[in-house]
Amino acid sequence: MNLFGVMDVSASALKAERVRAEVVASNMANAETTRTAEGGPYQRRHVVFEAEGDSSFQSSFVSHLGTNLGLNGLGGSVTAANAVSGGVAVTGVISDASAPLRRYDPQHPDAGPDGYVAYPDINPLTEMVDLMGATRSYGMNTSAVQAEKNMVSSSLDILK
Amino acid sequence: MQVSTSLSDALERYLDLTSEQMKVTASNMANVDTPGYKTQGFDFEAEFARQMQSTVLSGDANVAQVQDVDGLVSRPDGNNVSMDRESMQLAKTQLQFRLGVELLKHEYSGVMSAIHAEAK
Repeated sequence: MNLFGVMDVSASALKAERVRAEVVASNMANAETTRTAEGGPYQRRHVVFEAEGDSSFQSSFVSHLGTNLGLNGLGGSVTAANAVSGGVAVTGVISDASAPLRRYDPQHPDAGPDGYVAYPDINPLTEMVDLMGATRSYGMNTSAVQAEKNMVSSSLDILK
Repeated sequence: MQVSTSLSDALERYLDLTSEQMKVTASNMANVDTPGYKTQGFDFEAEFARQMQSTVLSGDANVAQVQDVDGLVSRPDGNNVSMDRESMQLAKTQLQFRLGVELLKHEYSGVMSAIHAEAK
């Protein structure tokens, strides 16, 4: 792993959490949307996260140590730029397939012949919890960045 | 012995490139609200390797080849500046700059101690 590799891992998490917060914001904004381009009410969206490569401590350690210790027989060297990827990626944003909420409102322009309007099945509580989770994770990762910066800084102090 | 060694020459190029990177990042950050603006950037390692190949220290050979960064998500106004990417880049470049400066200081402190040793 290169000097700034850990920072790249945290950067991917910051990016992913921001996308998550954006999706939550769009869900909350569209909580009452009854018309979409695809027709019908707005569908709640979910973000799907995926781990980028194997970043477990053991696998990194083994790949750095190489075969000398006979650990799983994996090769590698400390000097080579070992690609310990780690990090997180947003695989996609998927639509929730749950059925829309039906509310009786015959005056609404999108009301059906029976007087019911299809509204998106969005619970503001769930969305707020999700948003708080995203905010906290974002903050946590910025703290990790700060810690990594301090680590690089203190390694620079060795020169002094 | 020369005061300017190949290490200090390499470090000069390194510091030059980090300030170039700083400039690019700052201009990306400045254009965060400019409609249609595309994030600019260059491959630091590849650029540094390329500049180390050239023998002249200044001139066109040392201008980083800045191009559009792909793989970023565009907003509806066509702008694709990611504040997360830019602030990470800023933090990274600051540390790189410090690394260069500290190494250079260390390099010169050797010369300085040689001078002071003679004066004593």
